[in-house]
Amino acid sequence: MTGGMTGGMSGVWRIPAALAGLSVFGLAAAILGDGVWDWLCWATLAVPLAVCLVKLWRQWPGRQTAGV
Amino acid sequence: MTPASLRGWRLVHRWTSLICSANLLILCVTGLILVFHHEIEHLMGEDLDSSYTEGQARLPLQSLVDIAQKADPALVPKLLSFDPEDKAVNYIYLAKPEERGFDLGRWVVLNGFTGANQMLKQPEETLVGFLLKLHVDLFTGFAGQMFVGMMGLLFVVSTVSGLVVYGPFMKKLAFGILRFGRGTRIGSIDLHNLFGVATLVWAFVVGLTGAILSFSPLITGYWQKTELAAMTARHPEPMTGPAVSIDRVAASGLAAFPGKELAFIAYPGNEYAGSRHFSVIVRGHTELTQRLLSVALVDAETGVVAEAAGTPWYMTVLMLSGPFHFGDYGGLPLQILWALFTIVTGVVTVSGFVVWLKRPRARSASANRGASGAKLGSKA
Repeated sequence: MTGGMTGGMSGVWRIPAALAGLSVFGLAAAILGDGVWDWLCWATLAVPLAVCLVKLWRQWPGRQTAGV
Repeated sequence: MTPASLRGWRLVHRWTSLICSANLLILCVTGLILVFHHEIEHLMGEDLDSSYTEGQARLPLQSLVDIAQKADPALVPKLLSFDPEDKAVNYIYLAKPEERGFDLGRWVVLNGFTGANQMLKQPEETLVGFLLKLHVDLFTGFAGQMFVGMMGLLFVVSTVSGLVVYGPFMKKLAFGILRFGRGTRIGSIDLHNLFGVATLVWAFVVGLTGAILSFSPLITGYWQKTELAAMTARHPEPMTGPAVSIDRVAASGLAAFPGKELAFIAYPGNEYAGSRHFSVIVRGHTELTQRLLSVALVDAETGVVAEAAGTPWYMTVLMLSGPFHFGDYGGLPLQILWALFTIVTGVVTVSGFVVWLKRPRARSASANRGASGAKLGSKA
């Protein structure tokens, strides 16, 4: 994945690329085995969802918490 | 990226998304419920009888076939199918002796330990059946299934083009910024971008595997008409005497692939078997290897394996598309994650549509200025 106009693995792509990597790993993990592989799958696939939830929570209209 | 190519990608993203959005919402809503189809079937009392006592022996396959045939003695067995998850559930397809395809016959579902016959309900009669039909083909059969598959491919293009236009748009914006105070359009764009990019890999995988599953009749049909047909054509001998028992056929097929279990057995004379050879199709035991099929042709008169082979890559891709679409390979926690991803994808679909609805109408504004200038002006 390249950054296009921004050039290289710049700020725009750092977090999306990390989430994509975790997703690929998580999706693959549970098919490779059971037990610890299932746990790795659940833990890594939960990260993109948690990011959505935290960003939404912190920036919900009317919420005072600053920061992104 | 040049401004012209960015404009092109934006157009691709807009139109692929718009065309598939209505169907995508149906898929999200039905899919969200179907993720828990086992649990719902259980709650509704619609699950198949798979009870047996510990240590109980399986009935011979011949006994199951005999029980199934009692349902309609004019029909003969054509195919046995073994449920990979539920060891007690066996499906037997019966049809008229001359029928080679799988359209006109009937399925009988038996408990492989007790022989209990369970009527398969029509899809419209159960909640899960109804939702599944809506999800797969919009109640319009093969044509509808191909349509949903095409919508799936458009969705895949939509996710890829969305990723392409994300970069330039976010160049001066922090990841995950949500400007809800800046109006519906800006707020929707930000929500669409965050939820979309965070769940992009999941959406891409589920969309692509869904499209592949939609086209499964074409994929298995291609395998049957090419590799499998070539395999059976190498053994063209006709039947001259009585067939050995189905249990001996199954044992021979299994012996050709140590450590595998039965997936399907096709009887001679249907399109998945030879003129006098059974096709015994086996799979492995693990989450991964139960999706890898192998096939042995077993001579119906001698019970000897004539030829054994794996299946081509596209059959493996089709088989592996199942778990990555259904999310059923990692227990209940994965099902819950699957449902949450589905909700996020629904939000991405709706917010993207809102962005399009609230688009600036600069061109039409100038064209209609005379008629409704004041109204449009207030929007800008």
